[in-house]
Amino acid sequence: MMTSVKSGKQEKGGSSNRHFWLDIGLVVFLVVIFLIPFALIIAVSGPEPYHIVAGNPVKNAAQAVGITINSENDTQWNVPGAMGGKRFVLSDSQGNIVTIETQAFDSAESRDAMINTYNSNKIGKGKPVGDLIIVGQHLIYITPANNPLIKEISQELKKYRSI
Amino acid sequence: MSNEGTGTKTAPGSGKVLGLFALAMINVAAVLSIRNFPSMAIYGWSCIGWYVLGAILFLIPISLAGAELATGWPEGGGVYAWVKQAFGEKGGFVALFCEWSNNLVWFPTVLSFIASTLAFALTPALASNPFYMISVMMVAFWGTTAIAYFGEETSSKFSNIGVILGSIIPAVLIIFLGIWWIGSGQTLVLPPFSLGAMVPVIDLSTLPFFATIILLFAGMEMAGFHALETRNPQKDFPNAMALSAIIILVCTVLATLAIAVVIPSNQLSLASGVMQAIQYFFDAAGIAWLVGPMALLITLGGVVNLASWLIGPAKGLGIVAEEGNMPPLFDRTNKYGAPVAVLVIQALIGSAISLLYVFLPSVNQAYWILSAMTVELLCIVYLLVFAALIKLRYSQPDKPRPFKIPGGIAGVWVVGGIGLFGTALAFVVGLMPPSFFATNWLAYVLSVLLGTFLLAVPPFIFLKYKNSRWLKTAGRTG
Repeated sequence: MMTSVKSGKQEKGGSSNRHFWLDIGLVVFLVVIFLIPFALIIAVSGPEPYHIVAGNPVKNAAQAVGITINSENDTQWNVPGAMGGKRFVLSDSQGNIVTIETQAFDSAESRDAMINTYNSNKIGKGKPVGDLIIVGQHLIYITPANNPLIKEISQELKKYRSI
Repeated sequence: MSNEGTGTKTAPGSGKVLGLFALAMINVAAVLSIRNFPSMAIYGWSCIGWYVLGAILFLIPISLAGAELATGWPEGGGVYAWVKQAFGEKGGFVALFCEWSNNLVWFPTVLSFIASTLAFALTPALASNPFYMISVMMVAFWGTTAIAYFGEETSSKFSNIGVILGSIIPAVLIIFLGIWWIGSGQTLVLPPFSLGAMVPVIDLSTLPFFATIILLFAGMEMAGFHALETRNPQKDFPNAMALSAIIILVCTVLATLAIAVVIPSNQLSLASGVMQAIQYFFDAAGIAWLVGPMALLITLGGVVNLASWLIGPAKGLGIVAEEGNMPPLFDRTNKYGAPVAVLVIQALIGSAISLLYVFLPSVNQAYWILSAMTVELLCIVYLLVFAALIKLRYSQPDKPRPFKIPGGIAGVWVVGGIGLFGTALAFVVGLMPPSFFATNWLAYVLSVLLGTFLLAVPPFIFLKYKNSRWLKTAGRTG
């Protein structure tokens, strides 16, 4: 009799223990499920280190693939560490026209701060306007982000991305 | 939700504290944001066309749908309660969870906005210091969580005051400056107005922007999460929806145009932030001294925007836990009726993601993918809400609805159908990668879909392990 009461209590205790660990497991699962996409995407993307790229990558890339540079003007972004850059209007033989701005930064910190600012400038809960590409010390701002002309120079631009 | 020590049901400690104005301000806080204006002003007169599209395809349908559903089912849980009525527990839980989980991806961006805007009021160079950024972000995040801890009455007061000071007053100030600019004969940088200029250019390159425009007005359902604390939901919800929609639309359109007529588009296209645009605007108007105070107000607006999204879906998740769909840990509430466990778990996950955001910013393309996931998760929420609106007219036709979409079943199909169309289109175009990704677009699309799936799937896991012990009737007191 005593044994059966004891085993009943043990069973109850074991079941409660199991439930406790199940609950904890589900909370851990919830935390992990949020971190998995971040870790995966960040691992796949890989950070873009700050390094000096000689010349203007957009101009070089456009010339390499035969894109016409319709205009080229100096531009200065009003953010700390911005050292100036160029605003290009590019066009291709299909009639696509796109405006691209580049800006060089004096340090990894100032460049990265600008990236954060850009990413925090979302419209509502959507995406920011345009696309920002990192090439060494340069940030390249493209709008609209889906202009077909960008495809033509993206391979060239990617060549400048790694050291 | 269980109340600590008492086990009382439904929003303990908070009472019926919300009226028409407070409900409207919850929606305004969730949707109206100064940071949208310069980005939209780039489009000149055609921003009107984009806003009209957003209003027709989303703002008006979601406002009408929210009004009907909130008055018909004024239970706690907002979208959870509505979708559950139509598609059962699983559907409701998925809708709510998507609304909650997209926040966790979005929080770091709004926190970063708060910190960099505050830096502008102090010393702009501070924004380059990751330790400053993370410190301010954590103070804002945990501070807002602390406000939520003190329940509905406190957070409602904060929201009411904050949204007026941080969103409405800055927007009105920008509008008046724009009117003064035009009235005083200053140079207008926009070409003369014409109807044709209002029409947005919609082609393959601008199509992805469509998803952004649709979700510009996301958050109109936020008041629904506060149904349990509303004094007269049947009367107040429709009026609050109408009032908030009008405030949001008027402030957004006029303030965007005010910026567009003053600041040349090449100055706006720098992608360098709202405060740079405001500085240009105020310098041109000769009131440069007002930039600092304006930065403080906009910072407050950012905090209120954060608070609105932080509190609403967390309350909804508390209701889900109260109904026994999550482990008892999630059903902990304090004496103010706040879902403390959900708030703390949310703050912990949000803090971890914020750390990555600040200290690993150069994985910029990764953040683009995460932004796309936010869009997809929100689209799932709204697809379910619009589908629920239509289905409930068939499955529960006699349920009293103090506010009914006019036009009978046809009216519901038109409103729900337009909303479904707009949201589905936003979901599809939200998957389009920017051209820079074009060489491996399949990897991009799969990444976005996989991430969205992972953040939408937990309800199925919780429901699989659901057991009787999770129910309040099992004798828990929290």
